[in-house]
Parts: sequence; structure tokens; C-alpha cells
Amino acid sequence: MDKKGIGRRDFMKSSLAGFSGLFFLPQLDMKQELRVAEVKGKEKKFVYRTLGKTGIKLPVINMGVMNTDNPNLVRVALDSGMVMLDTAQVYQRGQNEGMIGEVLKGRPRDSYIIATKARLPNDQTTGLYTQEATEEAFLKKVDVSLKNLGLDYVDVYYHHNVWKKESALYEPILKALEKIKKAGKARFVGLTTHMNEPEVIQASIDSKLYDVILTSYNFQQKHYPEVRNAIARAAQAGIGIVGMKAIRGGSRQDPTVKNPAAALKWVLQDPNVHTIVPGFTTFEQMNVDLAVAENPLFTEPEKKDLEKVASISGLYCQGCRECVGQCLGDLPIPDLMRAYMYTYGYRNLTHAQDLVLSLNLPNRVCEDCTLCSVKCSVGFDVSKKIRDVVRLRNVPSEFIG
Amino acid sequence: MKTICLILGVIISLWAPRSEAKEFKFPEMIGWKQSGEIQTFIPKTLFEYINGAADLYIMYDFQELKVAEYQNEKKASITVEVYEHKTPTHAFGIYSQERLSNADFIDVGAQGYIENNTLNFLTGPYYVKMTSYHTGAEDCEILLTFVKKVSENLGTNGTLPAILSSFPEEGKKKNSEKFINRNFLGYSFLHSAFTADYELSGKKFKLFVIEGVGKNDCKDMIQKYLQQTKTSEKSPVEGRYTVADPYHGEIDLHWQGTYIWGTLSLNDSNLRSKYLKLLEVGLQKRK
Repeated sequence: MDKKGIGRRDFMKSSLAGFSGLFFLPQLDMKQELRVAEVKGKEKKFVYRTLGKTGIKLPVINMGVMNTDNPNLVRVALDSGMVMLDTAQVYQRGQNEGMIGEVLKGRPRDSYIIATKARLPNDQTTGLYTQEATEEAFLKKVDVSLKNLGLDYVDVYYHHNVWKKESALYEPILKALEKIKKAGKARFVGLTTHMNEPEVIQASIDSKLYDVILTSYNFQQKHYPEVRNAIARAAQAGIGIVGMKAIRGGSRQDPTVKNPAAALKWVLQDPNVHTIVPGFTTFEQMNVDLAVAENPLFTEPEKKDLEKVASISGLYCQGCRECVGQCLGDLPIPDLMRAYMYTYGYRNLTHAQDLVLSLNLPNRVCEDCTLCSVKCSVGFDVSKKIRDVVRLRNVPSEFIG
Repeated sequence: MKTICLILGVIISLWAPRSEAKEFKFPEMIGWKQSGEIQTFIPKTLFEYINGAADLYIMYDFQELKVAEYQNEKKASITVEVYEHKTPTHAFGIYSQERLSNADFIDVGAQGYIENNTLNFLTGPYYVKMTSYHTGAEDCEILLTFVKKVSENLGTNGTLPAILSSFPEEGKKKNSEKFINRNFLGYSFLHSAFTADYELSGKKFKLFVIEGVGKNDCKDMIQKYLQQTKTSEKSPVEGRYTVADPYHGEIDLHWQGTYIWGTLSLNDSNLRSKYLKLLEVGLQKRK
């Protein structure tokens, strides 16, 4: 590792020092938030929080439905005390909403909270809307969702996947959201953000329109302090905060996920997060999540698990993308840094090689510059890592696989 | 870290020749130009493109996505997304999750369908999604022209998974078959299953088939399922089981060789027996 202070040991030391002050927040008095959930069969006490100015009281864990087509899993989640179901029109091309609609038939309308979302065509590289993104198009989307769900209204209707402030404030969609709310098709409107969250959250506050924000927030985000501050400002402004991607960016399948419950608790230690909507596909995973809703306080082993994982991930690029455009050779640095992480962090040479080969790199990489023009935000020697990882191009894939 | 460095060093010193990447080429289309670079996404980055929907694709062993956008002089555009999965069955799995059974199906690849501004199809391990913008009345025609070229370049064809033909036709909802890659019924020990929807005399139900990797694999699944549902059976043997599943109600299933098949959401025991038998016959035809 290079000598300029980003050695593994140094990083571990500095990261762990940071944990004591920031990584773990002061323990909350959960007793104030405990409430008996209406669970069929037996009584359960879940921690409840209020979703900002919406006034909706929710258990701190609810269900992200996106990955399942199993109606009985959704049914059991509701019967077990979860209240909010989070879906989107894009999930299984509307069939996720349709499946939820079937489950909801016959249930009192005030016994559940439905949040769904839609997005319009945008430029994937800039995050900005294209000319196809019109108010009318967005208004049509909500009608399709209501039809899929078999409902007259949803509780929260999100403007989906925003990562630029300009998009958060995109007037045709803001107008559409106002109309949707006014027409009673959604009780509240919100926005979802998976990247560049602080900027988007601030824009949402500035808009004075959004009631709820669904945001990525997890212990492995390099910029979690900024996300945490933005969330605090939004909560202060009365916006309801729903967390997502709490478990390793959302994927329970990721090999680095060792302790999903601890990851959920890390998000819930922040009192400004009102609920989380983790996705689960098994009853076992659901029970893990329900146990967290009963007691979101950390155990010591859970804290240690998180510290360990966070320290390791801090040794690799976290995708701030500040390096984009800095390379004189126009190399895709974030992708190459990710390949480096696959190689040394996850020890997954197949993924690393696949990625390197997919980048169509020039034959000579980092060989023509005497001085690297890239300034990594955390001081990594980018050129050295790139020269190291591109060697994977010369390894037969059969050997690695 | 040192170990990996060492391994890499050894590998590289032993094999100097450069390996070739398997590359799908987006076709040249007369009257259309590719705008911008071809975007590539792998499991780790897929969420950057399709955010929350990415997890489902990854559950179906997604390998790589390539995206190209074409534009013509009239500012119409076509986006072609080629999702590559580990096997044709995995590709069918994610395709089946998104397929609408009442879509307008077209003869392309293993199967495809077209709607306003959208054409999706399945071919080999690829699930291809095409979307058009500002193509006006010629929308359908343009998408069909594109699909011909794209499918040619992918060079595979194939058919839907052969096991689907085991599902009895009586009462089957057309194009309702699915492949669930993992956690079937919400249990991690039931790894994968094929399902089909049925409706008979107003009764809606499902049939399923689990294909084990061997007889022991099936035995292991049955054993765990019986434990989960507290059904007393210490060492399961091949044959029929009726299970009171706390989450799914009463399920009839049958284990024979490398297959487990059964019914879901079907209360009528006579119908359950009938369909278990029909499925058995269908599966026997495969042997």
C-alpha cells in the first residue's frame, strides 16, 4: 500500500477512532417509542416512529416488496405487524403492484400504508430529464399504479430515483405531484434517491413540496455523515424519512453481508429515520427484521461486526466519482477502482476480470504519463492501483473461473 | 492481500497471451446512429441503471448488461438493453417475472412480445428489452426491424425451458409459467421451482415443479420442509405428502427421483390428486 497515510493499518486506526464519535450514535430511549402492534395471535411490542408531518405512525421496520412475487410472504408480513408496503410501478412491470393489490383485498384501508413510485425518461449519464418527461406522462403513471393495486389512492406517491437537484425540482413533475395530491390519488408525495443523496435531500427541502423522502442510508456509505446531516435537516423541516439499502446497499445476497440485523440497527440508531423498508424473500429474513423492530438496540457483538466490515470497505474506493474527468487518458477510474476492490476486497477475480475486460481499455494503460493528473478524494494512489488491476487482462478467464 | 498479489503474479507470469472477452456487437441500423457510448453494467453496478429493480435481476444470476441508444434524423430514438444471465433458464426466470400473460407475443428468439413503445424478448441466456421514443405511428415496425438485427447478432435462439411442457394444459393460464430461482415459497432450503397458474371452475391455483440436482438434494428439501411444517417423518421416502404449511395452507406434493411437484392454493383434494397425477405423467414423458 502507498506510503502517504492510506496504509491498511493507518486507515483502520483512523476509521475506528471515528467510530467512537460518529459511527455509533448515543443510544436512544426506545421505551418512549414502544407500542403494541396488532399482530394476529399474540401481542408484540414494536418500536414505532412518526413519519414526519404526515403524522403516520409506523413500526421502524416495514417491507420493501420489490424482490418477491410471493403473496403469502406479503400477507404474513402484514399479519405480523408490518404496516407499510413499498413497491414501484417498474417492479416486475407492474405485477408487483398487482400482487400486492390481491393481498390487500378485504383488508381495512386504514390497516396498511402503500407507497409506490414512478419515474420518467431521463439521461442516465446526467440524471436530468429528457423531453419525453412531461407532466401528463407522470399523471398517467399514477393511474396505472392505482389500477394495478386496485385502490382509489395510495398513501405515498414517490418521484423515483432522483440524483440531481435539477431533477428533484423538475417543474413538470412537481406540478404533477401537486395535482395527484389535490385529486386525492395520493395522501402524500415523496421522492426517492439512491445517489448524491445530500444534494437531492436539500433540494427536496427547498421545494417545500415533498412530504416523505426515501433515501439510501447505510453504514458502508463513505459519505454517511453528509447523508445523516441532510436527513436531520429534512426531518427538522417535517419531512418523513424512510431508509432503504440499509443492508449493504440493499442486497442481502452480497457476500459481505454478515449481520443484516446490525446493519438495520445502524440506520435506526438515527432518530431522524422514521422507518426502513428492507426487501426480504424468505420468512426467516422477515423474522430477523421483525426482531429488529422489537428491539433496535445494538448488542456488543453486532457493533464489532459492523466496525469490522466498515473498516475493510474503507480501504477501497467508495464511488464518490470526484475523479471522473480528471484522467488525461480518459480512463474510467471508478470502474477500475471497483475492479481493484473485487480483486483484493472480495477476492472475486471473475467479477474483477469481467469488469476490466468490459471497459475496452487502450493497450497501454497508465504508461504514458509521468505524473498522474488524478487527485483521489481520499488520497489513494490511483495510477498504481490501475496498473495493478489491468494485469487481469492477461489472465485466461478459464483459469480464473 | 499479499496472497492475492502473489497468486496474480504467478498467474500472469505463466500466461502471457491476452484472453478474449466474449463480446456482443450491437447491429448497424440503416438510417440510425448509435448515440453516445455503449454502457456496461455488472451485478455490482446494475442498481445505478435500474436502482431498486436490480436486486431481482441479481437473484436470477445476472451477469452483465449492455445498453445502446440509437437515434435517427427525426430525433426518434431506440434504447436496446441486453441483459445476460448465467443460463437460459435464469434468463427465462427474470423474463417470466416481467412478462404479462396477455401481451401480444411475437415470433422471436425463444419468445417475445410487443406493446406500445416496448419490445422484450428472450433468446438463450439473454433477456433483451427495447424501448422506443418519438417513433410515432411506425413504432411497431421500427421495433420489429431492430429486433430482427439484434437477435441475429446475439446468435442464439433456443426454446423455453423444456420442463414447462410437463405442466398439464387443462386450466392452465397461457404464458403464466415462471421460474423462481431461489427461496421458493419463502424458504431458503427450497432453492428453485417452475410454477404455472391455473383456473378451473372459478378456482385459481398454482402447480409447481422443483428439479433437484440429485435424489439426495430432493430428499434434503423434503426433510427440511417437513421439519419446517412440523410434519412427522424422520426419514422421508419417495411418494406423496400432505403438508399443513403455516403460511401457505395445505399443500400436496409428490417426490419422485429428482423431482418434487405439487399444488398450491387448491382446497379441493380430488383436484389436487388429479393434477398431481397429470404432472407426474408430464414429467415421465421427459425421461
